[in-house]
Amino acid sequence: MVPIPSEHKAVETIGLSKKFKLQWRRGYFMALEPLDLVVKQGEIFGLLGPNGSGKSTTIKLLLGLLKPSAGSATVFGLKAGSIEARKRMGFLPENPYFPTFLNGLEVLRYYGKLSGLSGKFLEQRMEELLELVDLQESRHRTLKTYSKGMLQRIGLAQALLHDPDLLLLDEPTAGVDPLGSRQIRDILLNLKKRGKTLLFSSHLLEQVQEVADRVAILHQGQKLREGSLADLLEVPEQIQIKLQSEGHTVEEIRKILTDAGISQVEISKPQMKLEDYFIRSLPERKQGGHV
Amino acid sequence: MKGSLLRLVTIAQNTLTEALRQRVLNVIFLSGLIMVGGSFFLTNLTFQEEFKFLKDLGYAAISITGTLVALMGAAQLIPAEIERRTLHTLLSKPVHRFEFVLGKYLGLIALITIMLGIMSLMFGAVLYVKEQIVLAGLQGVAESEQGRQVIASVLAQSRDPQLLQALALIWAKLAVITAISVFFSTIATSTIFIVCTTLVVYFIGHLQSVARQVWLQDMHTASFLKNSFLAMVAFLIPDFQTYNLIDEIIAGNNIRWGSTLEILTYSVIYVGVALVTASLIFEDREL
Repeated sequence: MVPIPSEHKAVETIGLSKKFKLQWRRGYFMALEPLDLVVKQGEIFGLLGPNGSGKSTTIKLLLGLLKPSAGSATVFGLKAGSIEARKRMGFLPENPYFPTFLNGLEVLRYYGKLSGLSGKFLEQRMEELLELVDLQESRHRTLKTYSKGMLQRIGLAQALLHDPDLLLLDEPTAGVDPLGSRQIRDILLNLKKRGKTLLFSSHLLEQVQEVADRVAILHQGQKLREGSLADLLEVPEQIQIKLQSEGHTVEEIRKILTDAGISQVEISKPQMKLEDYFIRSLPERKQGGHV
Repeated sequence: MKGSLLRLVTIAQNTLTEALRQRVLNVIFLSGLIMVGGSFFLTNLTFQEEFKFLKDLGYAAISITGTLVALMGAAQLIPAEIERRTLHTLLSKPVHRFEFVLGKYLGLIALITIMLGIMSLMFGAVLYVKEQIVLAGLQGVAESEQGRQVIASVLAQSRDPQLLQALALIWAKLAVITAISVFFSTIATSTIFIVCTTLVVYFIGHLQSVARQVWLQDMHTASFLKNSFLAMVAFLIPDFQTYNLIDEIIAGNNIRWGSTLEILTYSVIYVGVALVTASLIFEDREL
């Protein structure tokens, strides 16, 4: 593997681990085994794994919400969790962890000020982000009345307020309907185009496949695999061909291939994904296109 | 420095907004207002007794309401941030943990100051109306020397500037209670636990001066255990007995501003120590 120059690393963990003390002197619980990980600048990196695999613990360690039991983590070369590192990071929590007594505008103003923004610049940035996440019409509603998808989108807006270079997203589409999920996915892809680095955790594998450049698979606190999706998912002995049938039947195509000496041919009519079909079935207005 | 101040003010403002939108705290506040306003209708005594009764009741209402708000405010708002995990989002921003603790405290103090201000105005209005009613009843005797003395006595009772000292002392007492509550909320997440421990400190605080006296007297003869316990109470628990100066003021005794300022300084120092300790503990807390 080609070493990555340090100036190209957005996140680096070296032997990062976390153990929690169990009550009544019952020993320790290892939430994260020593983890070596590098996230390159400008890529979308997915942390995959079932519940309790260590995904959220890794994100909390990067944010400084937890202190590592051993090892170290850096963000753009800065100590993870430090104020300087957090200035360059945005965070979307798994569940809508926002003050629900505030309305959309108030929430953005609150987090904007905490991020060091103020005055006209902040107000302008709030407008831009409300438009980006398609919540202009709900800006005066308290967060209590927001749906899960809307909360995730306002969460994304608050994470982007100070235009961070790295975005940490903990299960960004969990519990969100397909339409909201696609909106979030589109925003993430758009951010990647703008050169942002994204590190997210998910157990929704299909959605990860749509956006991630590289992934790491965690299980019970251990990293099992890491690599680019293209490398990890390739089936070496097989080739997939998609062609325009132009009047040929499946049987005719099979005959052409077997006549050419190719065995174990599997041919079927391609099917669109249920998510695409669902979104196409919705009225045009609801399909979005806000990014 | 400027950034830190902006973040402190932002957290304090948000705490105040949350508290003002909380039903429990509003109900406590409204009950306090009703108690202060209702005191007007509860008196049917001589005017000297009436003013004394009004002041007793009014200040008790302000003090009890303020104590409840201080206790419930800190015990509810900080653990709620941890329980609801809104703290995760907050601390993902470039915010120091001590800024969170201080910001929360300042927000609660702003809330207590506003409530104290409104209740004091209400109490001032009650005193003024009572004064006008009493003076109207004295119209016939205003010409005589004795009448003038009675009127002066009424005005001295209703417009006693020392009442401001009493308010300042109540505010200082509430500031200390809030700091203790904030301290406990940085080590626990249970509202009941925080309220109970703060109340225990509050009650022990009324015996602190006794404990201190016994400790100083028996230091060389008492057992190690007794000495340690008394020293701990003397050093760690604030002396709430000192705020009983409020009762002296209400009773009409002359209290120097110097004494009040001494207590205010003591309160500020105690609050400072409590908040610094709370911030240090919170710095290492895993979330």
